[in-house]
This record gives sequence, structure tokens and C-alpha cells, in this order.
Amino acid sequence: MHAALAILVALTAFFALAGALGVWLMRDVYQKLHYLTLPCSVSVWFLCAAMFVAEKQKQAGAKVILIGLVLFFMNAVVTQATARAAWVRNDGQWPPREPPPPAPPEAKG
Amino acid sequence: MNAWLAGTLAVGAGLLPCAAVALRAGEVMERVVALEMASVLLTLALAMLAEAMQRPIFLDLALTQALLSFGGGLVFARFLERWV
Repeated sequence: MHAALAILVALTAFFALAGALGVWLMRDVYQKLHYLTLPCSVSVWFLCAAMFVAEKQKQAGAKVILIGLVLFFMNAVVTQATARAAWVRNDGQWPPREPPPPAPPEAKG
Repeated sequence: MNAWLAGTLAVGAGLLPCAAVALRAGEVMERVVALEMASVLLTLALAMLAEAMQRPIFLDLALTQALLSFGGGLVFARFLERWV
């Protein structure tokens, strides 16, 4: 049981650290945004599993599941809002501009 | 040192790259992403710390942090979009 707990906690920390390093190393805001997913969608469920292995109280487990759900759904909303804000700051409008229509073919003769 | 405390320290170490990005990134939206990542890591660290200290009531702090960081991220994104 202690080994399972240690493995689950280590996986939680590993994916959280990987996400933090991704935010540090990637080049622009769109690439960095992808790494928010790791702690929000992976680490937090390993944390829930570790909490259920370690904790006998149902209330603590329910609170950690609630934290996991908040992080999981918050990630999608905040990531979309941040990406949209970055796009509007760079491009000036949302939705993005339509590409120009293709030039009509030249008439022969 | 138990596994929970070691995990808390490891997740807390992830705050350092976030701080580096938040302090040194050239574009303001990159700093916001670092702030959002730091909020998530802090939520995880608070939950693990509550378990390390055998105080499940402190999980409320992690839950509050998660909810407030959600609102904070949306506010930053909205205002940095056009007005700031």
C-alpha cells in the first residue's frame, strides 16, 4: 500500500513538473498553453487515486474529486479564453479574418 | 519525510519555472499562462500538504484556490484581450 501511494504521488509530481517545464521551455503563448493540460488532466487524477489509497474518510476523497473536476473543466475554459485573448491582442479581431478569395481565372482569347 | 511531503516539495519546485517565465517573458500573455500554471500547481501542492499534515479540513484551501484561480484566469484573459 505504501508503495502504491508513493508511485501515485510520484506520478502526480512528475506530470506537474513536466507541465511547468513545458511552460518554461516552449517558445510562444500557444505552445505554452498546451502544457496546462498535464497537471489539470493527468496529475490531478493521480492525486485523487493516491488520496483514496491513503485516506479512509469519504469526505476527504469527495473534496479531492471536487478539486479534480474544477481543475479539469476550468482548464478547458481558461485555456480557450487565454488563447482567444492572445489572438485578439495580436490580430485585433475575433473571429479570425477570412482568407482572401482565390483570384478568378483569366479569360482566354 | 513521507511521500506526501516529498510530493509537495516536488510540485512546489515546479513554481520556479513558472516564476522565471512570469518575470522574464517578453509577451504579457506568456506571463498569464505562467500565472495560470502556478495556480494549478499551488492547488495540487495545497491538497498534498493537507494530506501530509493529516488535516483533511485544509483541503478546503485547495478547493478555494482552484475556484478563485478559475475566476482570476478568466478576468486576466478578458481584460488583457482589449483593455490593458
